[in-house]
Amino acid sequence: MKPDTLPKHQVVMVGAGPAALSAAIYTTREDLETLLFEKSVIGGLAAVTDKIDNYPGFPDGIEGLTLSEKLHKQAERFGAVVELGEVTKIHDEGEYKRLETSSGEMLARAVLVATGSDYKKLGIPGEMEYYARGVHYCATCDGAFYRAKKLVVVGGGNSAVQESLFLTRFASHIDLLVRSSIRASEVLQHELAVAVKAGKISVHLQTTTDEIVGENNKVSKVLGTDVASGKKVEFPVDGVFIFIGLMPNSDCLRNSGIELDPIGFVITDLHLQTSMKGVFAAGDIRSGATMQIASAVGEGSTAALNIRRYLEGKLEPQLISKPVATAVTRS
Amino acid sequence: MPKKITVFTTSSCAYCVMVKRYLGSKGRDYEEINLDEHPERQAEALKISGALTVPVTVVTKQDNTQEVVIGYNLTKLAPAVA
Repeated sequence: MKPDTLPKHQVVMVGAGPAALSAAIYTTREDLETLLFEKSVIGGLAAVTDKIDNYPGFPDGIEGLTLSEKLHKQAERFGAVVELGEVTKIHDEGEYKRLETSSGEMLARAVLVATGSDYKKLGIPGEMEYYARGVHYCATCDGAFYRAKKLVVVGGGNSAVQESLFLTRFASHIDLLVRSSIRASEVLQHELAVAVKAGKISVHLQTTTDEIVGENNKVSKVLGTDVASGKKVEFPVDGVFIFIGLMPNSDCLRNSGIELDPIGFVITDLHLQTSMKGVFAAGDIRSGATMQIASAVGEGSTAALNIRRYLEGKLEPQLISKPVATAVTRS
Repeated sequence: MPKKITVFTTSSCAYCVMVKRYLGSKGRDYEEINLDEHPERQAEALKISGALTVPVTVVTKQDNTQEVVIGYNLTKLAPAVA
């Protein structure tokens, strides 16, 4: 199809997590027609998080799925449209960006990349072999299959501790394998200490996870190493849940000309604009992001305001001449 | 058009919400089996899918053959329920 016959949109957002949904609330309220593409879950990783305790305005915490549905409804109320599909490539064609999507090609005057991140894999023997048959990355989805069963959870950050606590609803016992030390927030560490005292969770610090072993098509044990002593350790289990950090969902940006940092996160300037003029990035996908929902929401609204200025031709010159990649870690 | 669609879910599963949302957007009726409410049917889900996960979508075609889609995977779900 010739570019001048393609459907045109004012703003297209890639992803529909907290950053994009917040941005959409702002752009639609500015009367900018906005289309979002989500290839996975509306709400992103927030939607698959059991409970969110650090998002302002919810003194008793809120379920991630509930928060995501509220954000979605709010964006839709002002006219945002979420399409279940994906953007596979972005081309710079000057005033318009040409997008290859699962619904065909289209043009957008401005694009927000808010594709977020996904849980990293361990890359050990048995992990892929037993995926969904004993190895999992979503406690809220698959925890219910482990009533009165023994589990291993791998990781020491907020996600690993939060999801371990969630899994105590089902599991008879959880061994938490932590490669170095616990990096979760103080509040979560306190809750973890209570669960440890109650005998629900055992924490194994400085313990690597080396292999997932199965018998009869089921996971039967996890093999690891006690780093301090160098001794091999073994945990008989029924299932393993892995939360060891995040990797960027930036596949659709590879070879697009949009600059990424060495890990694959998107580099932006102080306006949250990428190296491709008219394409902005916000939330977990952005290099230097703090990987917090509250931050993603703030970045989304900031990006939306800058998109409006860009469309009006009023975006001020960058405050820095060169985007700066920032190393980022997240629990 | 499938003859019947059954979706195994749990209450807190965001991917299950997405499968239901997609089926709704395509005007497809489906039966939901929530395994939190019916834990006795977990074995059935496992037998059909071979996986300890939800969502599991079982699509029965007009010729009574079945297609099973594990997880929220539009690449597989969309043609299965077309």
